[in-house]
Amino acid sequence: MSLFLISLDRLKLCKMNYRLKKVAVLGSGIMGSGIACHLANVGMEVIMLDIVTPDLNDEESNSIIERNKLVNSALQKTIKSKPAPLYHKSFASRIKTGNFEDDFQKIAESDWIIEVVVENLKIKKQIFEKVDKYRKKGSLVSSNTSSIPINLLAQDRSDDFKESFCGTHFFNPARYLRLLEIIPTNDTRQSVTDFFMEFGKVILGKQTVLCKDTPAFIGNRIGVMSATEMTLLTEKYNFGIEEVDAMTGSLIGRPNTATFRLQDLVGLDTGDNVSRFVAENVKNDNYIDQLKDRPEPNFMKFLLKNKFLGNKTGKGFYEKTSKKDKNGKSIINALNIKTLKYEPAIRPKIDFIKATKGIGLMNKRLQYIVEGDTIYSQFFAEYFGQLFSYAAARVPEISDQYFPIDDAMRTGYFWDFGPFEYWDLIGFELGISLIEKVGAEVPQWVRKMAASGKKHFYKFEEGKKKYYNISSNDYAVIPGMESFLILDSFRSQTPLIKNSESVVHDIGDGVLCFEFTGKSNSIGEGVGKALIEALKIAEEENWKGIVIGNNAKQFSVGANLMEIGMIAMQKQFDQLERFVDNFQQINMKIRTSKIPIVVATQGYVFGGGCEIAMHCDGGIYASESYIGLVEVGVGLLPGGGGTKEFALRASDDFFEGDVQSPTLINYFKSIATAAVSTSAYEAFDLNYLKKGRDEVCINTNLNIGLAKEKVLGLAKNYIPPSARDDIHVLGRAGMGVLYSAINEFRMGEYMSDYDVEIARKIAYVLCGGDLTSSQQVSEQYLLDIEREGFMSLLGNQKTLDRIQYLLMNNKPLRN
Amino acid sequence: MEAYIVKGYRSAIGKAKKGGFKNYRSDDLAVDVIKHMMTKVPEIDPKSVDDVIVGCANPEGEQGLQIGRLISARSLGKEVPGVTINRYCASGLEAISQAVSKVRAGFGDIYIAGGIESMSMIPMTGYKLSPSYKANQENLNYHVGMGHTAEAVSVKYNITREAADKFAYESHQKAAKAIDKGKFIDQIVPVEVEDVFVKDGKKITTSHIVSVDEGVRRDTTIEGLSKLRPVFKKGGVITAGNSSQTSDGAAFTLVVSEAIVKKLNLTPIARLAACSVGGVEPLYMGIGPCIAIPKAIKQAGLKLSDIEQTELNEAFAAQALAVIQEAKLDPETVNVNGGALALGHPLGCTGAKLSIQLIEEMKLRNQRYGMVTACVGGGQGIAGIFERL
Repeated sequence: MSLFLISLDRLKLCKMNYRLKKVAVLGSGIMGSGIACHLANVGMEVIMLDIVTPDLNDEESNSIIERNKLVNSALQKTIKSKPAPLYHKSFASRIKTGNFEDDFQKIAESDWIIEVVVENLKIKKQIFEKVDKYRKKGSLVSSNTSSIPINLLAQDRSDDFKESFCGTHFFNPARYLRLLEIIPTNDTRQSVTDFFMEFGKVILGKQTVLCKDTPAFIGNRIGVMSATEMTLLTEKYNFGIEEVDAMTGSLIGRPNTATFRLQDLVGLDTGDNVSRFVAENVKNDNYIDQLKDRPEPNFMKFLLKNKFLGNKTGKGFYEKTSKKDKNGKSIINALNIKTLKYEPAIRPKIDFIKATKGIGLMNKRLQYIVEGDTIYSQFFAEYFGQLFSYAAARVPEISDQYFPIDDAMRTGYFWDFGPFEYWDLIGFELGISLIEKVGAEVPQWVRKMAASGKKHFYKFEEGKKKYYNISSNDYAVIPGMESFLILDSFRSQTPLIKNSESVVHDIGDGVLCFEFTGKSNSIGEGVGKALIEALKIAEEENWKGIVIGNNAKQFSVGANLMEIGMIAMQKQFDQLERFVDNFQQINMKIRTSKIPIVVATQGYVFGGGCEIAMHCDGGIYASESYIGLVEVGVGLLPGGGGTKEFALRASDDFFEGDVQSPTLINYFKSIATAAVSTSAYEAFDLNYLKKGRDEVCINTNLNIGLAKEKVLGLAKNYIPPSARDDIHVLGRAGMGVLYSAINEFRMGEYMSDYDVEIARKIAYVLCGGDLTSSQQVSEQYLLDIEREGFMSLLGNQKTLDRIQYLLMNNKPLRN
Repeated sequence: MEAYIVKGYRSAIGKAKKGGFKNYRSDDLAVDVIKHMMTKVPEIDPKSVDDVIVGCANPEGEQGLQIGRLISARSLGKEVPGVTINRYCASGLEAISQAVSKVRAGFGDIYIAGGIESMSMIPMTGYKLSPSYKANQENLNYHVGMGHTAEAVSVKYNITREAADKFAYESHQKAAKAIDKGKFIDQIVPVEVEDVFVKDGKKITTSHIVSVDEGVRRDTTIEGLSKLRPVFKKGGVITAGNSSQTSDGAAFTLVVSEAIVKKLNLTPIARLAACSVGGVEPLYMGIGPCIAIPKAIKQAGLKLSDIEQTELNEAFAAQALAVIQEAKLDPETVNVNGGALALGHPLGCTGAKLSIQLIEEMKLRNQRYGMVTACVGGGQGIAGIFERL
């Protein structure tokens, strides 16, 4: 591992001839507005143009406000949509708007012009003609089309345009779906393609995938086949749609929107359009050809004919009714695909699913899934057989190598595994036999691979992830991942420390990486023990510092509730208090250790995970980090130093002459409402992150590498912080303020009586207790009253009920 | 000796944070109104004013630093003293009542009394929200937010969301009609506000005139109001649409003794026959007028039926409806030109503003007795009975 991996990465980008700051987005629909927002997220100055508002009268057509109404309302609608397209609402100011008639000349200032107008060749060509006229020479131009050949769009344009032009296909929502397909034409300059591949990754935080100019490119091409096959098999095996959704979600490593909920979400018409487009435009696609013998199921025809197109029309495969069940929840209907009537959706109870869920290891689980002799196994065996054959046969048609197909499906469809990764999990030979069983083709290159004795599509070697290169018939390092610190690459070396909840690796250059490995990276005694050991080793054996981070989806869901709940229910309070005290002391050790410790996060950074992060010297937070002290949800207060840390931070924010109460309320609210940030940027507002200490990185895969660099940077001039005894707390004056705030929450029925009790304990700790004057106290004093509050809540049956409910139902109980 | 109201003027009421006065300080506004009023009574030498009594609900920040004194010195001369008083939403009426009391006691002859508020500039909770820990131990409702008191009143007195929305709708309708008829023109002092700002990188100096109340939403509908979400309580009654608006404004009256009236040959327009205050449980502060009204009527030696018109401050539609119901007021005679739901509620100014509006409207209708009443945060009510002369 080189010392300057990431710098090199940025350097590579800097050496390229393009520096982007100003971007023009042409078209303001859902996609256009979404892309504009994401460009604003990464600091671009965006100008978004669309047509003049149609049907204006004479007076209105002289008003700029009226003329821009269409583009402005489209943008506003997107900004308000959920999940939020912006990392922080203030980023909206980076987007300016205008219209094609009055403002087109403004694209002359743009470094990149991206077209996102309606999918119509003629209209797009008209737009590009204007772009060609107004753009500055050398600026980049791209189209977000999902269906029109990129080559056609470049026709009739100037040479400079053609050389600077390619397809850049984002997926909706642009912020959240990481896939970005880059589609060069024959005329596209190599440096332009290279630039977009790199820029998309480093600056936009995307998984860039190099595509060929083939129908629907990579993601949607495979996606169409997968959805079609699922739908056909549902009919063939006579399954209910709820059954198929239960089988094809998290069970096989896919989002819980699974098959039919996903179609409802996307819109059945949209799905149908893409499918038809693919069917009409592909060549030499055996799967599509044989669909002629597999007619579209009746239920699809029924839904499309009646315009039951999914969520946007109120019903599709599912229907949300206005009726409520006895718990006050809306009753959801599901389409019975035989009777074509909507009936209350059921929760399928299938032994097969239960048995499968019990298998933790994904390879064993998938093998079980396809090898059984139930109809469920037959369903999956057919599906995977078709999927493997189809994906493999698309090489080299849609991509010269297969790994971009996996990249695309993981990041564009939120699959945990792409087709070839599934294949590896199921096993190479078993995969081939699945293909043969459904009578599909096993492509020549796979035969060749088998013949040469290669039995894995991927493997880790020498700290690198490698793929089987079909032209060289040998394994090679996956390009574009040089700058990612993938912890899997270190699995082959002997870790410094390892237990059931954590591993410590040497990640080179004198830096250790502390990785959580428990279920959902929860924190229990194992983490505590390993952390103490790691700190000791690092301090005594001359390491430069520690990165706390991992490559999992969630950084950490917090303390191991199961462990705490069990001990509390057995009333082993002494043991619990020791546990809490230990966790507090570990966090204090992190804060005061002699070496720099930097956290790298992504996904959930909850509770105890958040407390650990707050005690580090700083952090590299992936923008998609959802951060919060969520303890209130289980009837607790942050007891690992989190509440103490908030009192400390509030104290540091007070200044001479400050009225203090607004600051105090601001800190209190985050904990008392268990506020979770919707991005790392928002976490600054909630006080989980601190300016100047914590940083945000856009590409999740870069966070550990950047954290390592931060450790090395800090190590050069490191002064270890000491435990503090100058924390300014407000005592009763502060509690008066917070008690009133809590009372209002209670009156508004936003808090239950028990919430009030918890909130008052938080107020007590934040204010340093009911002191009659404001004064300075030590961290340890605050930790002591924090622990006291935590323990008293744990002694309450209502807290135990909350913990139990969350563990059983995976959602919080309000009692 | 009897005290008489000789003149009364007010500013238009601006929408807080959005309207014409959002960047205009309330002391400046008061100076404009008082100076204008004095030009209408040339018989009185401004320096002969005994005191300026300024009601203000949040006398801090821009309204701190002895704003009453600042206003008296700037509008009449440094020889004239000034005082700031605070009975929250009743401050403006309380100021008039204090001026009248001082004249009657023989402490002085000429007073300027009224109120101000810039809700654009001062947060309703003040800059440093500091509820008392000890008071909170005794009763959490000492410091409860106004919206929550209105929710509590709506529950206790069975005021429905529908009734509240309808009341709000009617307030807007009546106010729009009153403005269209020009009913407020004579009482409003048009104020010119200077605007200096940077646009497209250049400094621009211009100004605008505020002369019409800004709060009325002419296009509001009951359907529209019914779609708004409750602000304070899940499934509650109180929405932004059926609550009073936050506003900026200033209103002042000139109160003189009988001797001055005779000496300078002035024409009084009204006298304050009685003014009472009373206390209630803070949680139900909205019902406060029901305690103050009977007291004031008794003090004035009248019956409720003698009151021909009432200005009842619409802090919340639910609260106003509860007062009308419990105090047995005739809805037809209450807020004939709409109320705070449409015209705004600049806290400390409101009592004086409503008094001026009432007297003017009584003149048009040739009425003798009228009443101004308001609920007061913290659990109080005020009622003042005016006799038109």
